[in-house]
Amino acid sequence: MKVKVSMVVNGEKVERVVQPRMLLVDFIRRELRLTGTHVGCDTSSCGACAVLLNGRAVKSCTILAVQAEGKEIVTIEGLSKGGMHPIQKAFVEKQGLQCGYCTPGMIISSYQLLSSNPNPSEEEIRKALSGNLCRCTGYKTIIDSVKYASKLMRTEKRK
Amino acid sequence: MLIEEERKLEKPLPASVRFVLGRGKYVDDIFFDNMLYLKIVRSPYARAKILKVNGEITGRELSASMTSVGEGATERKTRVNYPVLATDYVSYVGQPVAAVIAEDIYEAEDKAEEVEIEYEPLKPVVDPYKAIDSEPIHPNTNSNVFVDTKLGKDFDESADVVLEERLGCERIIPNPLEPRGIVAHYDGTRLTIYGSTQSVYSWKEGICSSLKLSPEQVRVIQMDTGGAFGSKGGIYPEYIVAAYASIKTKRPVKWIETRLEHLQATAHGRGAYADMKIYARRDGRIVGLKADILVDSGAYPVGVAPWAPSWIGYQITGPYAIEKVYVRARAVYTNKVPLGPYRGAGRPEAAFFVERMIDMLSDKLGKDALEIRKINTHEGKWKSPLGLEVNDARSFLARAARQLRYSSLKRKRGFGLSFFVLIPNLEPGESARVKIQDGIVRVWLGGSSHGQGHDEFARRIVSEELDVPMEKIYFENSDTEKINRGVGSWGSRSAVLAGAAIVEACRKIREKARAKLGPRFKAEDLLSFEFDESVFFKPEGQLNSLGVNVVLATKDKLGFGRISKIISYYDAGNLLNRNMAVSQVIGGAMQGLGQVLSERAAYNEDGQLVIGSISEAGVLKISATPDFEVIFDREKSRMPHGAKGLGESPTIGVPPAAIRALEKLAGKWFTKTPLTEEDILLNGG
Repeated sequence: MKVKVSMVVNGEKVERVVQPRMLLVDFIRRELRLTGTHVGCDTSSCGACAVLLNGRAVKSCTILAVQAEGKEIVTIEGLSKGGMHPIQKAFVEKQGLQCGYCTPGMIISSYQLLSSNPNPSEEEIRKALSGNLCRCTGYKTIIDSVKYASKLMRTEKRK
Repeated sequence: MLIEEERKLEKPLPASVRFVLGRGKYVDDIFFDNMLYLKIVRSPYARAKILKVNGEITGRELSASMTSVGEGATERKTRVNYPVLATDYVSYVGQPVAAVIAEDIYEAEDKAEEVEIEYEPLKPVVDPYKAIDSEPIHPNTNSNVFVDTKLGKDFDESADVVLEERLGCERIIPNPLEPRGIVAHYDGTRLTIYGSTQSVYSWKEGICSSLKLSPEQVRVIQMDTGGAFGSKGGIYPEYIVAAYASIKTKRPVKWIETRLEHLQATAHGRGAYADMKIYARRDGRIVGLKADILVDSGAYPVGVAPWAPSWIGYQITGPYAIEKVYVRARAVYTNKVPLGPYRGAGRPEAAFFVERMIDMLSDKLGKDALEIRKINTHEGKWKSPLGLEVNDARSFLARAARQLRYSSLKRKRGFGLSFFVLIPNLEPGESARVKIQDGIVRVWLGGSSHGQGHDEFARRIVSEELDVPMEKIYFENSDTEKINRGVGSWGSRSAVLAGAAIVEACRKIREKARAKLGPRFKAEDLLSFEFDESVFFKPEGQLNSLGVNVVLATKDKLGFGRISKIISYYDAGNLLNRNMAVSQVIGGAMQGLGQVLSERAAYNEDGQLVIGSISEAGVLKISATPDFEVIFDREKSRMPHGAKGLGESPTIGVPPAAIRALEKLAGKWFTKTPLTEEDILLNGG
């Protein structure tokens, strides 16, 4: 049995016929071939699969594609539609990554944080990223990247 | 080749830019049109006889065994055969027994449910010390002890102070964020492998050997690799099954590990124990050291298992000048997944053992942590009785103490100090290729970057050596077709060896350019011609470096000890990229901290792994990140670019200093990693 599912992904309407048990992350990666969203665990521990669903960061391995019916999804690829996003620039500049596998999820979670709290404290950054695991960086440069991104975004807004 | 075409279309951006844009190309990002998905059916028992197997691909059809390749590979023959798919009996939870392939991974999982396997469970051997005298887990052996080596000369000693302790580092799961994975594509004549790997050469060797293929038939290409920490250097049964399934179906076959499979069936690290005994004078000078090392090798003699005991033994004296050393080094089979390398691979274990004894001696004699270490160092070059070379440990320690502001730090209650030596794995060398064509310089390395930013240092060296702007230099992932011979990325070796190979390749190009263009050619001239040089760089002698860590611990709101600061003072030679080096040190320090605080591959007495997620495996979260300070002692090495090893230093130096800081705070004595919550619950709550 297959079902039709449609949603808006990175601003474009998409429609596919899929198995009802298909996870949203598999829909994004396999059906849409948006491979920036990663799978790092099967227990919603690591956050590598984070995407924005109606503006809120969710772990796309914990919901079915059919549950996203009619919803608006933004993936890491969608963030840079108008050029590199300041958060992306900040992660490069402050070396908030090594192997790059957790990075898209880290950036999506940071995006959600900075959308609601443009000038977070270090404590608030740690809290916002508590659902994302990184094995390479020790998180230090990730915290630095988010602080720097917040500065870049505030400067950009003032312009 | 699909991948290469795609790479050509995209202007090669630096890896970090591709990664933040979500444009990394990891192995699971490969989609071939007619691709099949492989699912492995695994043993639910730690030890059992197999009575019956009915499945799509079984060990009856694919009768092949694993060979030892990669870091710690050995040609030593043992009587134990590691089958790709088990046929007669299983020896660990997660061991591959059968496999299915399907058009889609969901369907493959359904098919895996239908595979029928009947087992007769047996009592497993789990505890490594009990394994010594337990019934052998392999029927054709008479003991679980399969390595029993002596190093150095036994001695009698009557010293002022004799201290003994049993110490241990429990098993840890590597847990890179990207699990293991492979796509195998046989086109009727040749097999192309795309992998998440530290070494395309080890994979090629392992696959050729298991499936009896000739080297000309196999090509291995590295995809972007999302961390590894030792787990992706060697070869695993799943890779052989994927390659076999592709040859059988003449279709591309993808296998991607799930996290649970990673926890169960990817080689664990550490898993080493030692009965240590030191003989010292009243002034703190250690005159003799004995160690009885036991390595929990798991079920098969692959990975680092056969090599680890004597490797740990070799460096058991750390940076100290101890004149009498005697080591017994053993490895035992247990019903667990085979042991493999994990960032540091033997070095952190040896450092933990010797540093714990130094701290014990410091307590016993009431000596200061720095003083007790200093008195045991040698001024100038020192070669240990087992052959380990250490260069001027005394003056390094003095420099470190000054730079770290030791005298003010040591007054803190939760204070820990460690001193260690890093032995980079230089054998047998490493390769690089530099090619100039169409105005672009391309660089390939024999080893495979998996998060250490090889592209950054490789491009920088080329730019400096050839005086070509960075944007004209493209870094390519490793590929057995691009360089004939190479080794792999592990053992803090890439910047040292591949870096040196790049320098030599560039210098050869300069020589040829001079002959062609005269002595004063410019970058533009160089880029308008074609050059192509491959170099295999073979180092001579040892290139060990020293390091010191200071770790501070404080009491948190709930009354537990927590690590507040990690300070590193490391000899890193000439730094190729300072930011990248700092980032490596901090990331590694966090892994070292994980070993002390939480990381553990815990099995119960039935040989069942009792953890089911990456969180339960103890990988640290962002909340655990302390403050860091990284200071480099930048004495150039004799390499052409002056580099030294670095990647593993923090996993060697941080655990002994961190456990010391916590134990001082708690007023206890700790003998193994990881600690429990009860261990770090401070008196008075």
